[in-house]
Amino acid sequence: MKILTTVKKVVDVELNIHVQDGAIVEDGLQYVINAWDESGVEAAVQLKENHGAETTLVSVGGGDNTDIIRRCYAMGIEKGIHVDDPALEKADSFIYARVLQKVFEKGDYDLVITGKQAQDTDNGQTGIILAEYLGLPCVSNVVGIEVIDDTHLKVTRSGDTGDEIVELALPAVVTVDVSINEPRLPQMRGLMMAKKKPIEKMDLAALGTSAEEIGCAAPKSEVVEFMPTEKRAGGRKFEGEAADITAEVVKLLAEEAKVL
Amino acid sequence: MAKILVVADIKQGVLKSSTTELLSKARALGAETAVVAMGSGIAPLAPELAKAGSDTQYIADDASLELFSAGPYAAAVVDAAGQFGADMVWFGFSESSKAVAPRVAAQLDAACATEITDVTLGDTVEVIRPAITNKVLQRVKINTDRLVAVVRAGAFEADEGITGSENVVQLAAPAPDTKAVVREIVSDTSGEIDLGDADIVVSVGRGARNEAGVELVHELAKDLDAAFGSSRAMVDAGFMPHNKQVGQTGRIVAPSLYMAIGISGAIQHLAGMNGSKVIMAVNKDPEAPIFNVADYGIVGDLFEVVPILREEIQKVRS
Ligand SMILES: Cc1cc2nc3c(=O)[nH]c(=O)nc-3n(C[C@H](O)[C@H](O)[C@H](O)COP(=O)(O)OP(=O)(O)OC[C@H]3O[C@@H](n4cnc5c(N)ncnc54)[C@H](O)[C@@H]3O)c2cc1C
Ligand SMILES: Nc1ncnc2c1ncn2[C@@H]1O[C@H](COP(=O)(O)O)[C@@H](O)[C@H]1O
Repeated sequence: MKILTTVKKVVDVELNIHVQDGAIVEDGLQYVINAWDESGVEAAVQLKENHGAETTLVSVGGGDNTDIIRRCYAMGIEKGIHVDDPALEKADSFIYARVLQKVFEKGDYDLVITGKQAQDTDNGQTGIILAEYLGLPCVSNVVGIEVIDDTHLKVTRSGDTGDEIVELALPAVVTVDVSINEPRLPQMRGLMMAKKKPIEKMDLAALGTSAEEIGCAAPKSEVVEFMPTEKRAGGRKFEGEAADITAEVVKLLAEEAKVL
Repeated sequence: MAKILVVADIKQGVLKSSTTELLSKARALGAETAVVAMGSGIAPLAPELAKAGSDTQYIADDASLELFSAGPYAAAVVDAAGQFGADMVWFGFSESSKAVAPRVAAQLDAACATEITDVTLGDTVEVIRPAITNKVLQRVKINTDRLVAVVRAGAFEADEGITGSENVVQLAAPAPDTKAVVREIVSDTSGEIDLGDADIVVSVGRGARNEAGVELVHELAKDLDAAFGSSRAMVDAGFMPHNKQVGQTGRIVAPSLYMAIGISGAIQHLAGMNGSKVIMAVNKDPEAPIFNVADYGIVGDLFEVVPILREEIQKVRS
């Protein structure tokens, strides 16, 4: 099985993010691997370890992605492709999906694993659109993958009313949720070895395409302004004897907030 | 006049309130409205779909649509969008919507915006949506003629006086997806109140520790006729099913009252519930971040507090 897993470099959401004049203040931001993609990488490496698979990752955009790709190497990914091009500056999910489509078509992959969602966009679209572009079956929000045979997987999708068990014919695309696994921590030795591993870097031309073909000049949507989220004013905190404060809060919920 | 097609949210044969909310918003914007519904045995819902605020009801009713499958569901929506000549297709928030919307957008060559909280029509169409785990809001300009959108739970309000007219168009049953075959759905939670419907949501976190703790908090939810939700920690630990997870990667809820019991208040959890009208939290750590958003915070051990809560609630309710 040949697996292509997609990895995006995203802003670290655990740090404070400030907005000024409609834009995000760059100062103090840090960039990390998208959490859902880290789970995708772990899923790919587990398939490699348990069933024998070739694992390739692709990351699009983001400038210097060396640290992130090396981290994935240290987790067990064998090959890394980084596509970057100034034309991708205003890319939306459709444009990224077109680029990923080109990468897919250059390899001979059986399975694409994307994250369910990127932590910077929170779009949850790219993997599903990629599958549409490729004309491949797709299961999103996957929380479990089992191999049936060379051409079939049994995947578990977390759906509205429960876990949906889906028999999926390869080649296919899955988008994974973070609940699928606990990504391993790369070991020092792996990180050292990863430094020696080459990263295949290319622009759109080297990928065999162009800004025109990808549609870079015409994103279907674009963010024109960032705004701060409205903060909830923290309310009252009650400390003391459990019986007293609990009774008081219940009274307030009933009489003041009128929600009981 | 803009033409807005709303995808009906039907779960276990019941039409969910989000459908009325979306149709209310569409009508308030002066749009012509239609609704598309997929499922098995749903044809009798037509009058209800009309009353929810639609003037045309596209209905794909077929035994093959019993279990949710993104491919055929998307095909039905695309079919309806074509027949109606929709400028926009709106989905209510659900895990199914998130799976279908990008497919529909790709097939219609439309833009796709998820989790929108507002939309403006006019010469330029714009939407507002949270991003970066709810840390910022984005104003997004749509550059295409068509837009497919998933509306965030609780974003639009239902207009009580809304009505529509019945005009049913039967859709041909879409071909089943033979490459992604849904075999079964496990952990059926029928009989339990859906997180999306409930006026009160009670959620349990890692503070409840074990099965007994979860059961204790569940009893509180039952007393209140509340939906029972969970933090991711309790889902990953196997105490709660995936579809009960509240948060960024789970369900987005906006009830009148949200009770967070033994939940720390990580940003990913907050992203799923901070639109609630009133938040109440129980946590033994006075520094827990949940207290930054809770209107009423009880600092205490949940094993001690929850039984008292149940008693006191019984008292005020009787
Ligand atoms: C990409 C990504 C997506 C995520 N999506 C989600 C999501 O959708 N939903 C979600 O919930 N999380 C999500 N998470 C996980 C999130 O970051 C937190 O890890 C998770 O919410 C923690 O759950 P918790 O509050 O139950 O556990 P903890 O953070 O461990 O908190 C337990 C709390 O219980 C309190 N406590 C302990 N004992 C008691 C007691 N006896 N009485 C009262 N209080 C007690 C503690 O003080 C503590 O505050 C996501 C994470 C990532 C990286
Ligand atoms: N620029 C990118 N490079 C690599 N993968 C990406 C990129 N953008 C999106 N993806 C993949 O698509 C998933 C969903 O992204 P999004 O639609 O932006 O939420 C991510 O988790 C990634 O796996």
